[in-house]
Order: sequence, then structure tokens, then C-alpha cells
Amino acid sequence: MGLEATMICIDNSEWMRNGDYSPSRFQAQADAINLICGAKTQSNPENTVGVLTMAGKGVRVLVTPTSDLGKILACLHGLDIGCEMNLTAGIQVAQLVLKHRQNKKQKQRIIVFAGSPINYEKKTLEAIGRKLKKSSVALDVVDFGESDDGKAEKLETLVAAVNNNDNSHIVHVSPGPNALSDVLISTPIFSGDGEGGSGFAAAAAAASAGGVSGFDFGVDPNLEPELALALRISMEEERARQEAAAKKAAEEAAKEEKGGEQASSSHDTTMSEAVNTSAVIADDKRQNLTDDEAALLEQALAMSMDGAKSSSVDMIDADMSDATTEDPELAYALKMSVQESAGDSSTHSGMSKVLEDQSFVSSVLNSLPGVDPNDPSLKDFLASLQDQSETQQKQKEDSPEKDGDK
Amino acid sequence: MTSTASSSIPRGQVDLVEFVDWSGVECLNQTTSHPLVNALKQGSRDDDGLHLESDADEQLLIYVPFLQVIKLHSVVIVGPEEEGPKTVKLFANKEHMGFSNVSDYPPSDSTELSLDNLKGKPVTVKYVKFQNIRSLTIFIEENQGGSDVTKVQKIAFLGTTVDTTNMKDLKKIEEH
Repeated sequence: MGLEATMICIDNSEWMRNGDYSPSRFQAQADAINLICGAKTQSNPENTVGVLTMAGKGVRVLVTPTSDLGKILACLHGLDIGCEMNLTAGIQVAQLVLKHRQNKKQKQRIIVFAGSPINYEKKTLEAIGRKLKKSSVALDVVDFGESDDGKAEKLETLVAAVNNNDNSHIVHVSPGPNALSDVLISTPIFSGDGEGGSGFAAAAAAASAGGVSGFDFGVDPNLEPELALALRISMEEERARQEAAAKKAAEEAAKEEKGGEQASSSHDTTMSEAVNTSAVIADDKRQNLTDDEAALLEQALAMSMDGAKSSSVDMIDADMSDATTEDPELAYALKMSVQESAGDSSTHSGMSKVLEDQSFVSSVLNSLPGVDPNDPSLKDFLASLQDQSETQQKQKEDSPEKDGDK
Repeated sequence: MTSTASSSIPRGQVDLVEFVDWSGVECLNQTTSHPLVNALKQGSRDDDGLHLESDADEQLLIYVPFLQVIKLHSVVIVGPEEEGPKTVKLFANKEHMGFSNVSDYPPSDSTELSLDNLKGKPVTVKYVKFQNIRSLTIFIEENQGGSDVTKVQKIAFLGTTVDTTNMKDLKKIEEH
């Protein structure tokens, strides 16, 4: 995103008390503003954002454009709801504030949240729009809340009058189960005129969806670059290997008897074939794992146990950038590395195969720097793994033990 | 007469296009397809196919900073008969003006362009007011025909540079 100075115009009129957006229109608006401020400041450190309210006693500038996110968020607290929104005055004051910005190289943008009805004529709005266009100010409008007839059209004409080369946008959000912020994340208001906001938006989307984190592998690339890199490399190598082994998998899948697990079994074969070289990479990964990762590993294994049948297929097809599932890549990569190249793959689902090498799992956990193998919770976990495995597990224990211990 | 008028330069003056600071040049209310560089830059300003066009209405606000201090003698503005500029106001050394404050200060000079001027005859400005120019703001208030779109083919500045420190000379002295 380019260098930008943004003024956000908040609608704090009486219409914002309505609860058709949960928890209330005003709260939904505040959340959306928080997200927008974050996205703007993150996409470019020199971006500045300012806030003003349009209703209440009159148009009031809460904070002049600043890059200090804390200051912006702080001023959003304790806002009062009242009176009517004055759209024209709000936009004009915003334009004035932007005119007096400190860094004249920043492009000017106004984001208006229009929740109350609009009483102005289309012509008035068009004239305002043209003035903004003349001064090369971009305008984004979020049309939510009240939707009497004509409001949407009026706002459309306003944005059309300002629009110069697609720099201005309008979004209509109707009341519903989706939060206002979620709807906005996917709009050009968030992603701006470039790619900058989308990274933040993706992270925010993942966080709001309840995922562990918004990053590709459940690992913050900034905090743990080696781990993230190792995981990424192993994923790519595995993909390449999967393509090569696709034909073999199809043949073996045809021999499988289990109908429902046929797909996962074929993937077992590819996984088992791939284990040897990926295990080397996995070892590097494990050395970098911290205490947090140990807990995460247990969690991942437990989770993948629960959803073994369906999720194993999903995991393999999962996109790297799809961060809404809970660490599938991490569980999958570890699952592959724990797999031994045992020939017999037919009678077990993907997950039990991982866990039946119980001694291997324990050796993996031993190698983790922060994990104490005598930890009671860990012992319980291993015991539960054992229960889930079949009797054939004992046969396999002999082979992995040779190369399982480091 | 008309063709020579556009190329004749008053004695002692130079075309100041080389001293324009291109990184700071701005124009408000221009269309993106017909930007200011079409009218200012050497080469495109003489190309009849390229011109500067206004967008939302007929006014244009052009800001031109210079690389060094200059004295401005005259200005050449070439445009079509109907849509060429008519009322032009010049502001010296005022940075980052907007359409809202063009009426806040009196212009350093203001002229009404005649058709001769639009063909290339230089407009002599009040020289005394333009002795020490770092930047120039040109406000085109209305055009000849009164239409909503103003078109400008060429803008040129004629004047002289003030003897400011030439960094190359400075080096030579140090070498001695």
C-alpha cells in the first residue's frame, strides 16, 4: 500500500444504539475501526490515521493523523452516542485535517461509516464528491445500519463523484450473523489499493475464526524463522514426492479393501515412502522445537487422532495459506516423519499408523529439549496412544527402535 | 509570426525547464490520462497530441518547484482557443496550496490570456515580484470558452537564474 494519511469518520448518532449488528451497531463499528487502523499502520510504518466523530454535539476531531496505534485505540474509548450525524461537515473537516497533515507526500483518504439515514440531496453529495476529487482525496464509504430507500444510491453517487481510477470504494453491509469487521476484511477498503493490508487481514481473519494463529505453520516466522523455514521446505519436498508417487498410490489403493478409508490409505503409502528423507528434515525441525512446540505437538497429535479419517485427507489437500484449520501442516509434517517405511499399510488408518509406533513417538518426545519424559501428563498421553493401537504395533516396535533413538 | 513567437525568447532570458524539480511537481484536478508532464516536459510539451486536461471542473492548480532560485521574466502558456486557460494567477513561493486557499492570499501576479498568448506569445509578469523564486504555483481559474474542461498544451517559464552556489565550482577551488 502506498504512503497514506487516513481520516476515519465515526457515526456516533442515536441510530448506533440499535442491536441488529452484534453486540450493537456502535460496537461493531468500533471493532471495524480498530482493525482498519491496525491494517493501515501495519502496511506502511509511515501511514497515519486520524479519527473524528460526526454526531454528538458536532463534528469533533478525536485524534489528528498519527502512526501511533495506541493513541488511536485509546481515543476510541468513552465515546458518547447522541444526536444526528452531520455527513457534509464531517467530510469537510476530514478534508481540512488531511490538508494540514505533516507529511505532504502522503496520499489523502477518508473512510466514512454511514449508519444513520442520509438527509442530503444527491446534488449536494455530488458537489462534495467533486471537491474531494479536485483535491485528490480518496473516499471509502461503509454503508451499514439504516437502509432507507435512497441511502444506498446517494452514497453510490458520492463515491462515484470522488472516484478517480478506482481509488474510492463503497461497501454495503446488511445486518446479519457476520460481524461488520469480518465483512470488511474481504473488501478493497481493507486491502486498500495494494497488497499491504491483506497480510494483516489474513492474520486477523484467522484469529477471528478461532484458529491458533494466522501463520502458515502455526509458527511465527519472525519468532522462529528456522522452524518455519524447515517446515516449509519439508512441505514442498513432500508435495514433489507425492506427485511422483501418485501412480503407485492409485494402484495400491485399488487393492485396499476398506471402502471409506481407501483414500487415506493410499496417502499412507505415499507418506510411508516419503518418510526416510523427510525424517532427516523432521529431525532438524525437532531440535528447534521449544516447550511451546512440545505442547503444540501433543495437541496436534490429539486433535488429529480425533479427526483421523476425514482430516487426514483434508490435511493433505490443505492449502499452505489456509490458516483457518488448527495446525494441519504441523501435524501432517510430524505425522509423516513419525511414519516408518513399513510395508504393511493396509489395515490401519493414517493416524493409528502414526501412533502405533508408540516407542518412536516417545523417542521423538525425548529428543525435544523441553520435554520431560517422566512427566505424568505425558505418560498418560503415551498410554492413551497405546490403547488406540492394534496388536500389530508390537511387531513394528522392533524395527523402529533401531533407528528411533538418537 | 505566430510560429516564431512561440520560439522567440526575450534577450537574456533562458527557458527554465532544466531547473524544474520534477520530484516535487504537483497538479490538482488533472485527469490521469492527461497529466501535467504532457505540458511541462521538454518533448511532450511540443507534441500536439499530448496536453494537460482538467478533471472535475475547469480549474487547475499547478505547483512547480525549482532546483535553484530563479528570477521569472515571463510565462508561455499554449492552449486551444476554446478550452485554453483564460484567467491565470501566479503565486510565488507558496507551497502546497489547495483550491480552498487560493483566495486567501493575493496572487503575485494575475493575467488574462489573449488568443495571442495561447498561440505562444509570452506573458510578461511583474518582474519585481518574481526576483527570488523557489517555487511557483499556477492557478488556472477559468478557460476561454467557459466549458467544464480546460486544456493546456504547453507551459514554459522564461527567466534567469540567480547566482547561487554551484557545487561543481566549489570542488575546483578545493583542488588548488
